[in-house]
Amino acid sequence: MKVSRKRKGSSEIPTASTSDIAFLLIIFFMATTKFDVKEGLSLVLPPAPKEDSQIVQLTEKELTKIIITSNGEIIFNKENTGLFNQAVVDSKIKEFLKLNSLMIFSVKTDRSAKYNEMIKVLDRLKAAGAEKISLSTN
Amino acid sequence: MAKIVLKKRKIEIPQSSMADIAFLLLLFFMVSTVFVQEKVFWVERNRWPYAENIQKIPRNHTSTVYIKQDDTVLIDDVPYSIDDIEALKIGGVIQRKLNNDAALIVCFRTDRETKYGIMSDIMRQLQDTGALRVTFETQKKTE
Repeated sequence: MKVSRKRKGSSEIPTASTSDIAFLLIIFFMATTKFDVKEGLSLVLPPAPKEDSQIVQLTEKELTKIIITSNGEIIFNKENTGLFNQAVVDSKIKEFLKLNSLMIFSVKTDRSAKYNEMIKVLDRLKAAGAEKISLSTN
Repeated sequence: MAKIVLKKRKIEIPQSSMADIAFLLLLFFMVSTVFVQEKVFWVERNRWPYAENIQKIPRNHTSTVYIKQDDTVLIDDVPYSIDDIEALKIGGVIQRKLNNDAALIVCFRTDRETKYGIMSDIMRQLQDTGALRVTFETQKKTE
């Protein structure tokens, strides 16, 4: 008796649904992607002093000390300008930068002063174009 | 007059390349996705200080340090207390991160009412480990 063989079925992978799968994955990645843009004031800290490093004394022509007191008063080289006032701080910084465009600004913030006060001064320094800024505390 | 028979054309949008387009988009999203290390936004954006001269920070080399108003420090969802800071633990954590990525930028997400002392202590430890690039995350001043 003759047995007729079954016809061979086509051995193709169905590709009609690949786009569906791909879109599903896209939706997953789109939904999980978190656009968390980082913006802020950047600064490079000075390296830690080494034991053999020399101490160089800087004069007032090269270094301006800005002290932020615990209650938010700002002192430029012993001159107290009172609480933060943008116009006053801006004009002071400009004055010092006119003396020396490469002036180093040392911002000394009191330990109990608010972080916000330091950022305000740092922001004004950046706005004025000061490049050499150092942060310290007492 | 002879009748002109207009052939009706079948209009179809070719769908064979749809999967390619979809995969292209998929690859874009997969490559551009940066997985955030921490699960919780410990210090909300509206608690950050205001500044005008802000610049964008490249995301791929950053490590975020959250400092809450009650002086709790969080790195990658792990809280550190003041005792930990005094024991120089933060420096150790940052050192490990620095070993993995030499171009590390430490981003501070600090509550604006936080006292400066804690920031200073952490920055001192950063200086000792050699992680010198820092940024203070701020929000744009709107007046």
